[in-house]
Order: sequence, then C-alpha cells, then structure tokens
Amino acid sequence: MMAMDIILDGFFAAVAAIGFGAISDPPLRAFPRIAILAAVGHALRFCLMHYAGLDIATASLCAGVTIGMGSLWLGRGAHCPMTVLYIPALLPMIPGIYAYHAVFALVMFLQSLRDSVAELHYMQEFLVNATVALSVIFMLAVGATSPIFIFKHRAFSLTRRRDRSKETK
Amino acid sequence: MKTKDELTDILDFIAEYATYMLGSGVHTSRVVRCSQRIGVSQGVDVQFSTFQKSTILSVRDEGSREVITRVVPIPALPISFQRNADLGALSWEALDENLSLADIRRKYELLISKPHIHPMIVLLTVGFANASFCRLFGGDWIAMGIVFISTLVGFSVKLRMQAQGLNHFLIFILTAFIASFCASVSLFLPCTSETALATSVLFLVPGVPLINGVTDIVEGHILIGCSRLVNAFLLIICLAIGLSATLLIMKEGLV
Repeated sequence: MMAMDIILDGFFAAVAAIGFGAISDPPLRAFPRIAILAAVGHALRFCLMHYAGLDIATASLCAGVTIGMGSLWLGRGAHCPMTVLYIPALLPMIPGIYAYHAVFALVMFLQSLRDSVAELHYMQEFLVNATVALSVIFMLAVGATSPIFIFKHRAFSLTRRRDRSKETK
Repeated sequence: MKTKDELTDILDFIAEYATYMLGSGVHTSRVVRCSQRIGVSQGVDVQFSTFQKSTILSVRDEGSREVITRVVPIPALPISFQRNADLGALSWEALDENLSLADIRRKYELLISKPHIHPMIVLLTVGFANASFCRLFGGDWIAMGIVFISTLVGFSVKLRMQAQGLNHFLIFILTAFIASFCASVSLFLPCTSETALATSVLFLVPGVPLINGVTDIVEGHILIGCSRLVNAFLLIICLAIGLSATLLIMKEGLV
C-alpha cells in the first residue's frame, strides 16, 4: 500500500509536470526527463513528509536539490540546459492549496471586519498559509539552483556538442 | 581589427539574440554567458546591463579599442524552453566551429522560426496536468474530472483572449474567474469540492518567472530578479482577484 501511494504520487506528478511544462514549449526530447525528475522529486517530498516527519519547506528543499542534481545529470544527454528540465519538474510542487487558503482567508477577513474574533482568525490563517506558500517556492528554487554553484563548469556547458576533452575555453 | 560597420553588425546581432532570449524567459546570467560566448567567437568583448523592459549593450573591439553601445527594448515573447536550449547550443557552436557572423545569423533565423507545440496538444496536456494536480492535493475522481473540464474551458478562453490582444492582467482575472466558476459545480456534487476549486486556477501560476526571479536574485542579478518577481506577483494578484470573485459568489457553500 505504501509503495503504491509513492508510485501513484510520482505518476501524477509526472503527468502534471509534462502538462505544465508544455505551456512553456520545451524541446520534445526533454519530456521523458522532465517526467522522471518530477516523479522522483515529488515522491521524495511525499516520503519525507509522510514517513520521515519532515516539514513541507525542508522536504521541498531536499526535493529541489534532488531535481537540480538530476537535471545536471540528465541535461547532458538531451543537450538541454538545467532550467529547461528543472523548472517544469518543480511546477507540481508549487504549494497551490496553501496559496488558495491564503486567498480564501483574505477574502473572508475582508468580509468579517466587524467581528473581531473572526477577523483575527482569518488574518492568522492568511499569514500562516502565505508564509508557507512563499517559503516552499523559495526553497524549491534555491534547492534546484544550488547545483549550478557547485558544478559550475558542467552546468554551463550542457548544450555544448563538442567533446569536453577538446575544450578551448 | 574590425571596421565600424563590422562592429555595428556584430552588436546588432548580439542585441537581437540577447533580447530574444530575455523575452523568451531565459534567466539573466545564462543570456549574458551565451551572448559573451558569441562575442568571443567574433573577437569582441560584450558587456551588458539588463532591466525588465530594455537592455544596454556595449561591444568593444580589442584590436582598434573601439566601443559601441546600444539600448535595445526587450520584446514580449511567449516563454519557450525550446528556444532557450537551441540558442544556447548556437552560442557553443559559434565558438567551437568558428562560425562567421553570416552563418550564425542564418542558423539563428532557422532556430527562431521553428514551430511551437500545437495549442490543441498543449490544451489537452494542461487539462490532464491540472487534474493530476488535483489528485496530488487529495482530490477524488469526480473532483479531477471537474478540474479537467474547468481547465479546458479556462485555458481555451485564455488562448482566445490572447489572440484578441487583450491586456494580460485582464486575461488572468477573467480566466481565473471562469475556470474557478466552472469548478464551483463541485459544490453541488458529492466530492472534494474545496480541492477542485483550489486547483482549477493553478495552471495560471506563473511558475517560470517566479523560479527565474529567485534564480536571478541568488546569482546576483538582484534588480532584474526583483522585477521578474514583481511581475509574477502582479499576475498572481490578478489570479487571486478572479478566484475571489467566485469565492464571494459561492462563499455560503464553502464556510
């Protein structure tokens, strides 16, 4: 059952990444790699949150780093820069439910300005959800970008077709 | 040593190349690197500063020490990872194969005229993607079906409005309203209606500018990174306005 949950999580993340990625017109050769990265990243975050008890922001950072490293590894074969692979793979991890709850709490806050208890409750809901949503997005982007700083040379030459042993620059 | 005309031709090409990449959603440090690589292949030094709407480029010929500078507007183009990968590869090819400027320009014209993915395929895949997203957030099969249809309706209306040249903030507000309003059907059915409503608008989240903005900031291009984030947040606010309109109409069923 546990394995099934993880596989299903990875599968739906892969479908989401392919669909959201298609809006940004990636090369066709990138799609299988985007699907693999999204499935691995999302399933890892799922496991870290549900079985290791990690919070969503830290789990997102770990998933972001994994996707970033994976895009560095898979980018060479597809001659794709890291961003082409990791941005669509990160999209299924955007914390949509938290963002929705933040918007809903803001709407309800404005509707209950004369009721101080409800007002406080909705403002707290808004701040909690907005903070989680922003932290997760930041952690995802920083996590996926971090391999660029560690493996600069490799990250900057993924679209190069000439053998790296004959490098001139 | 280059004549002034040759230097101007190089500057004009690099200006067009760099602004095309910036307009297609490539993060700043990559555009700088690729442009400078093309500059090296042509024997000139390229430096530039970039803002949200325009770029200032300087090209210097090491032989004659002549410098020319231009301010170039950045065109508003659809985001394209295909162009991102192809134009980056072109800069390496220019350097490794010692291509002439005429050859680079010919290859560049070919690359930017490649067709985009067909809108109908994008429409269907976005529908499935948003339905999968609904599932990831704990939605059931009915909610997934409703999200799929809402996304198809919302996305096709968005494409139609974009073809009409409507203001993009207005497009985001209207699309978010239409998609979430369609998804509010879920309130009258036995399903996870809150998840359906929440995910119905998520195909509008400007993920590429958000992630590019953070990437630019951590790579030291703080000004343009902030500009990209502000731009993305404006679109998210528009999305929230459209969603709020539905929530205001339907709030009795949600509280």
